[in-house]
Formats: sequence, C-alpha cells, structure tokens
Amino acid sequence: MHVVIAEDSAILREGLAQLLTMRGHDVRATVADAPALLEAVTQHRPDVAIIDIRLPPGHTDEGLRAAIQLRRDTPGVGVLIFSQYVETAFVAELLAGGSEGVGYLLKERIVGLDDFDDALHRVAAGGTALDPEVVTQLFGVSRHRDHLAELTARERQVLALMAQGRSNAAIAARLRVTERAVEKHVTNIFLKFDLPPSDVDHRRVIAVLRYLQS
Amino acid sequence: MNGRSARVDNGGMPARVLSVAGRAVVARRSWTGLAYLLLTVPLDVAAAIMLLVGGLLSTVLLITPLGPWLLALLLRAAAALGGARRGLAGRLLDERVPAPPRSMRPGGLLGWRRAALTDPAAWRALAYALAKLPVGLVSLVLGGGCYLYGLTLLTYIPLQEHSPEPWEIVVCLVGGVLLLLVAPWMLRSVLALDRMLIRGLLGPSSAVRRMTDLREVRDRAVVDADATLRRIERDLHDGAQAQLIGVGMHLTMIEELVAAQAPPERVRAAVDTAQGALTAAVTDLRDLIRGIHPPILDRGLSAALATAAARSTVPVTISADLPWRPSPAVESIVYFSACELLTNVGRHSGASNATVDIAICDDVLVLRVCDDGRGGAHPRTGGGLAGLIERARIVDGRLAVESPPAGPTTVTVEIPCPAAGRETG
Repeated sequence: MHVVIAEDSAILREGLAQLLTMRGHDVRATVADAPALLEAVTQHRPDVAIIDIRLPPGHTDEGLRAAIQLRRDTPGVGVLIFSQYVETAFVAELLAGGSEGVGYLLKERIVGLDDFDDALHRVAAGGTALDPEVVTQLFGVSRHRDHLAELTARERQVLALMAQGRSNAAIAARLRVTERAVEKHVTNIFLKFDLPPSDVDHRRVIAVLRYLQS
Repeated sequence: MNGRSARVDNGGMPARVLSVAGRAVVARRSWTGLAYLLLTVPLDVAAAIMLLVGGLLSTVLLITPLGPWLLALLLRAAAALGGARRGLAGRLLDERVPAPPRSMRPGGLLGWRRAALTDPAAWRALAYALAKLPVGLVSLVLGGGCYLYGLTLLTYIPLQEHSPEPWEIVVCLVGGVLLLLVAPWMLRSVLALDRMLIRGLLGPSSAVRRMTDLREVRDRAVVDADATLRRIERDLHDGAQAQLIGVGMHLTMIEELVAAQAPPERVRAAVDTAQGALTAAVTDLRDLIRGIHPPILDRGLSAALATAAARSTVPVTISADLPWRPSPAVESIVYFSACELLTNVGRHSGASNATVDIAICDDVLVLRVCDDGRGGAHPRTGGGLAGLIERARIVDGRLAVESPPAGPTTVTVEIPCPAAGRETG
C-alpha cells in the first residue's frame, strides 16, 4: 500500500514510517506541514494519507483543512486523521462529505499495530475507520440518547464497532460470536432506530453516523 | 527682546536668572497660558451666571414638577461645559485629564432625568463651575495684570507729552521690564490653582480612577491566565504527550522486530530511541511542573531562590531577610519575577556577577536584582520586563528599572506584603 505521512513531530513521523515499512507498506513521502502534504499527495497519489491535525505554522487545524481539501480534490486518496485528541466538531466536518475512505484515529492506537493496520486497509479500500473514542463522543453528543438507551448492552457494543467502520466478520471476531448473531443484532439496531436495513458496510456506517449526528 | 539682551551677557548668576526669565517670557506655554486665561474668563462668568440663576430657579421650582427637570438639564449642561473645559485645558495647558465614565443610561425620559440627577461627575462639574469663577477672576487680575502693568509702564514714557524726568524713565523702564519678567511665573502659579481644580473636579474621582486601574489589571490577569493555560496545553501536546506516544510506537516496533527475529542491533536501536523519548518526556514534564509551581517554593522563597540561583549562568549572591512568609501568590510572583530577571541577566547583560536581595520593610516586600553588566535595559511593550510590571500590578506592586548605559542594572520589585493576621480589607 502506498502511504504519505504528514506529522510535525520528528520522532512520531520517522517511527510511523519505520513501522509501516516493516509491515510491508510503501511510505512514499513524509512531510511536516500542510502545503508539503498537498504537494506530496498530488505527486505520489498514495492509497492513504496519514495526517496529523495540528501542523505548522499555526498549529491549530491545518491538517484537518488539508484533509478536507484532499477529500474534495483527490477522491481516490483515503484520508486517515492521526491525532492526539478527539473533537466531535472535527469529526463532523471530516464526515460532512461522506464516510468513504476516511478515518480518524488517536495516535496511541499505533500500539495495537494489527488494529491500526486493519484501519489503514479499510480506509484505503474506501471504508471507514473511526476511533472508539470518536464513537463514544458521538454517542455522548447524540440527541437520540433515549433510542440508544433502548439498545441492549450487546447491541450497543455492535453499534459502537459498526460505527467504527468494522465489517460483520470483524465484529464477530472481536465479540467472539458468530457472524449470524452479529447480523441479527445489526437488524435489531436498524429496526430500533427506524432506519432502512443496509448490507453494504460503508453504507450502513453512513446511516449510523448520520443518525447519531442528526 | 529681554531674552536676547540677557543671552549676550552670559556671565554670572544674575545674567543666568535673566536669561531663564527672558526665555520664559517668549516661551510658547506662557502665551498659550495667557490665551487660556483670557478665553476662559468670559466662559467662566457666563457659565457661573447661568448655573447660579438656573440653580436658584430650579431650587425654587423644586416644589413643582418642573424643578427636577430644570436641575437635570442644568447638570447635563454643567457636564458638557466641563467636557469643553477639559478639551481647552488639554490643548492650551497640556493638562490632559481623562473624562469621567458616563453613568449608565436607562431608557426613557425619566431614566434620563434620574441618570442626570445622580451622575456624580455632573455634580462635580457644577462645583467646578462655581469654584472656578473666583479663582478665574483672581487669576486674571494677578496673571494678566502683570502683563498689562508691565506693558503700560514701558509705553508710559513715549506717550507722555512733556519731557519726563530721568528718574521717571528709570523707574518706568526697570519696573516694566521686571513686571514682564515676573509675569510668566505669576501666570504659571495662578494657573496651577486651576489645574488642581480641573484634576480634582473634572476628571474621574480617585475611586473611579482606582476602579479603572483595577479593571485594567484584572483584564490583563485574565488574558495572562488564558495565555498560560494555552502555553501549558501546547507544551504538553507537543512535548510529553507526543514523546510518550513515541515510546509506545517504538515498543510496538520492538515487538515487531522480535517477532520477525530481526538482528539484535536493530532491536537495541529501537530500545535506545524509546528510552530517549521516555527521558525527554519526563524532562519535559519536570520543566513544565517547575514552570507551574516549583516544589521547592513550598519550603519558602529563600530556598527556592537559592535553587534558581544555582541554575543561573552568572554567579549569583542571594541575601534574604523575611521576618514572615508572604502569601503563596506573592511568593510565586516574586519567585518567577526573580527567575525571569536572572534569565535576562544571563542572556543580555554580559554581567560577571549578580545579586538578589529580598526583604520586607514596612509591610512591603522588596526584591532587588542587580548585575554589573552593560546596562541599557528598559521595558518594551510586549517584552519580558513589561510582563513583569503587569504581573506585579496584579498584586498592587510595581517594578522599577535603573539601567544606565554601561551599567550597572538594578531592577526593583515592590509588593505590599502585610504579615498574616494583620491584613486589612
């Protein structure tokens, strides 16, 4: 997989590049600010751009702006936000243009490399990868908390994993249940939320996120 | 003319006095002062008559509903006149007095009336107008009189029809010149009286001034606290947090390397990097903690300052005489001020020695940081010294810099510091 990394901390930039290389990815470029990122993406057309939110010179949300621009200008390039904090407002902005090929992970998730790698692949394949913390916050700010309260504990777990962008197979493996059982939970959730059922992974992520954000 | 003749002969004391006096006669501010005096007297008379008549009328009418309205109108007029006088004094006397704050103005005519009647600034402006009339007349007689008699005496002889006696010429000339030389000083003295009236009655009262000052200090303190929190957030985000993530990243890398049975030197390199990042994170945290509240400050100022001195690049001698412990807030401000001043000494002064003296005398804590460096230090807007001045003001303190070119430099910080239990509200 071809990757471009935008991260201003040298130790994280180089560490991430090394780790991804060890996993067999092709790190095409590592850059430290937003303009360099846009240039590198135009030049290398990576499968995924991994982007820190805070980048020089302003150290505010330059990375997020660049990510939104990339999603508009280069639709084939997956965008994975790699940040030290989660802000629901940022998530909403990022997902405003749909949830295909987009991710938002906290930097410490790198410690579980398999999970991180999995998220990277999902984003590259046009799927979604949201940090559990992002989903928790979306649950917290959702106006449908009464509907959320109607879910069983298991259904909530399934919903959280689904909102993170995981497939039924992945959810089943994580919860140590059969895929059949997961499908049943998903159907129940859609029923309780009064949403039309959807089989395609990324479509149902959109449905769930839209629902939580509405 | 007097000025020139005096300057030609510039030997000896009397000549110098004449020269100074002569220059005062032609100085711009003598003429603007005279103009002020002449301009304001008619204004004073008109205002006083209007206010007196109006005041009497409205007092009489107070038994009818018309009285309060007339009085309110009168007070507004007095306030407006006061504003005009402030402008005049600012332009002609260079006596710049800030306008008193406008009282809150609720809506409606009744609200306007109540605001006008209860505006302390308007009442004070009224008092000024009444007090100014006698002061203005006396000023005109004394200040303007000197000029008038001086000029009259000088022009007396040429305008005489009979030929004057020699003693008459001498008396008129000497008297006229003397009066004209004295006139500017007389003018300044009588104007000083008016300045006092303007400062006392047309500007903000001392309570209002204090309030404005406090509001300014509070605003600054709020901005300062916000900036501090942002800086801490930034330091944590870019420093310790990023480094700890780096540690995690390299632990993952070690895991991967071990799993792939990579050569030991690659594993060791990753371990080294992780250890380095961890050390950097801990160091960052320690520096940050010291910047927030140095633990040594719990042991008192002298112990904390001794530690600060040990970190200084310039040798520092410390002497402390603290009969009681200042409040924690004062301790903190004094400590950080001393640290910043010592940093300045190390960075800019080129000094080879510095001293830090700290003492409490008459319930005021005095911090004095001296160095034998090149001097020339002064507070610049937005600079470190300006920041220290602001920080001292928060606790009613002040900071003075004495730093002639070529040094030495002495910075003195004074902060009120009553002993615990003796504090007065």
